Amino acid sequence: MSNTFKAFGMMLATAALVAVIGLAPTTVLAEKPPIKIGFIHTMSGPISMYGISSAAGAKVAVDEINAAGGVLGRKLELIVRDDKISPDTGLREAKDLVLKEKVDFLAGTISSGVGLAISNYAKRAKKIYLINIAQSTKITEENFHPYVFRFTTNSTPYFGKGPAIALANTYKSKKIIVLGYDYETGKNSLKEFKDTYLKLVPDAKFIDELWVPLGTTDFTAYIAKMANSGADCFYLAAIYGGGELAFTKQAWSFGLYDKMKAVQPCAGDVETWSKVKQGDPYPKDALATCRYPFWAIKGEKNAEFAKKVREMTDLWPAYGALDAYIIMYAIKDAVTKAGSTDTQKVIKAMENLTMDTFVGKIKMRAFDHQAMMPTWYGIMRFTPDLPFPHITDVGELGEDSYHTIEQIKKIRGK
Amino acid sequence: MTFEAFAGQTLAGVSLGMVWFLIAAGLSIIFGTLKILNLAHGSLYMLGSFCCYQVTVSLAHVAGNFWIGVLVAPIVVALVGGVIEVFLLRPIYKAEMIYQYILTFALVLIIGEACKMIWGVGYHSVQVPWPFQGSIGVFGLSFPSYNFFLIAMGPLVFIGLRTLINKTDLGRNIRAVTENREMANALGTNVPRVYTGVFMLGAWLAGLAGSLWPPVSVVALGSDMAVVIDCFIIVVIGGLGSLAGAFVGAIILGLTTAFGLYLIPKLAVAFGFILMIIILLIRPYGLMGEPE
Repeated sequence: MSNTFKAFGMMLATAALVAVIGLAPTTVLAEKPPIKIGFIHTMSGPISMYGISSAAGAKVAVDEINAAGGVLGRKLELIVRDDKISPDTGLREAKDLVLKEKVDFLAGTISSGVGLAISNYAKRAKKIYLINIAQSTKITEENFHPYVFRFTTNSTPYFGKGPAIALANTYKSKKIIVLGYDYETGKNSLKEFKDTYLKLVPDAKFIDELWVPLGTTDFTAYIAKMANSGADCFYLAAIYGGGELAFTKQAWSFGLYDKMKAVQPCAGDVETWSKVKQGDPYPKDALATCRYPFWAIKGEKNAEFAKKVREMTDLWPAYGALDAYIIMYAIKDAVTKAGSTDTQKVIKAMENLTMDTFVGKIKMRAFDHQAMMPTWYGIMRFTPDLPFPHITDVGELGEDSYHTIEQIKKIRGK
Repeated sequence: MTFEAFAGQTLAGVSLGMVWFLIAAGLSIIFGTLKILNLAHGSLYMLGSFCCYQVTVSLAHVAGNFWIGVLVAPIVVALVGGVIEVFLLRPIYKAEMIYQYILTFALVLIIGEACKMIWGVGYHSVQVPWPFQGSIGVFGLSFPSYNFFLIAMGPLVFIGLRTLINKTDLGRNIRAVTENREMANALGTNVPRVYTGVFMLGAWLAGLAGSLWPPVSVVALGSDMAVVIDCFIIVVIGGLGSLAGAFVGAIILGLTTAFGLYLIPKLAVAFGFILMIIILLIRPYGLMGEPE
């Protein structure tokens, strides 16, 4: 008897807790069971800002959708889990969400390694997995399967092809020197950049390629060489994060940014530079790509979204939030179109999706399940609008900055 | 090659070499006296970087916080070094070489994980301190003044160490123990204390290099292994245990790297090793070392 009583007490306590947290209205008001979305992201540790920002973006969308009556009369329910940036943990959470929570969709994360592990599992479990930050082209090219969709730019428009188009649209530099990390992404980025750029600006020359061991943070001797190379522009091949910060400090103190133009892909995203203040070294006048320049996008909806994310997280709104927001709407649109949550029907609907969002029309490419998300580019400067350096004179890159279907066929054929 | 390019690569090479020298000097002194090849020396360097960063953060609003970090961090690292010597190294001096390698390699992992636990896997930045923010024009080339400061630190530390070893009582004891441990012991030198002192001095040098480096770069995990290989090359080409050898070796390796990548950039990664092979073929005991 006492056990039953205890269990009853526990149930009451749990119910009370749920009510306090505020989940109760969703469950009580929804007549039909909710559509569950398992959202796996890096929510703890030093790069948790990506996960926190993404989860906030997803939550804004879910709240909006539910307030407007949900999807097919069902509410959306977001279950957030932490992958601790480990493929093992990510996989375990994915399994748990599918088997115990019976989620209808999986979404997330930042690391391509974790993303690939979850993607492989999604294929076996026959669950749709929607990626919001992980960029490796491998996920949608070599390791493609029908259950994976990506709603973020991949490394092609971001590191290689996109910056080349941007450079041809802006500085049109003729003599380029390259500095890159000596590993696959570095070499691939340069190849994409070079091939694209030489087609657009045929009289340009790549005068030298400097490759440093992965993880190098002392670029002094390389920068001295770049400064005296006679180049009018340098291109960084896949040097980002800590390496980029170190490079920029050193290049700044050598006056390299005054001597030549700079192409620093990914310098435009807010995470790396948001703590840099006026007077600190930054990639001055560098051409950079960015996945969500919230300051440059017009429209009330964008401003409202940026404000909500900022209030929820105390972080500058980043692309993780935008992409997660779009994913939730993609689920809504695809499920509505399919008329059910049946996986095969939703895949069909999602493959032919064109979404109207506050960053423009976004088309899903059926061939590789890569959403044709725009990539923005611009010149890194300080303006009175924001306390950190950011891209200005913003331009937008579209479908032509991605691999073509023919290119992907070739890659997969290998 | 233009004159500006020549000057640029020379300065860059020397400034690279001088930071390496500070680390290699500690490594060399420790080997000379204790006959231990400390694989964890790079980890002590990295620990110095993190400690210095910590001071600049904790004292964010204090003027000159970086210089306080440069004073404090090497002392913290020296104390950690002292603990390592007394509690971990002392019991295994008599054991075979391989145990020392295993122990010091274990320390690489332990210190690395400890730094990860305390400071995380992200990267941290330290501002270039007053009064070295600007750059100085030389031969039409603008070169950061902080790098000139680093270049100056090399010879300063070298002279300081030479004076310490040749002119002081402590130095005399160090030389005695290095020369003949049993004899020094018999003549009343406290050998274990000298060992601890020398290891702490080596750790202090690694900590000093570690705390001077962040303004030029970033503080992050992995810098331990990035730097330790170069420093091993330096002490090997200079002659194990020779301070002057480490000094010369550091300059040679710095210049080889700088000019090598200027002339044949595709081979940049290999120059240090090529240099080591050539020197060892000609002088197997290193430039300033003595044949055993």
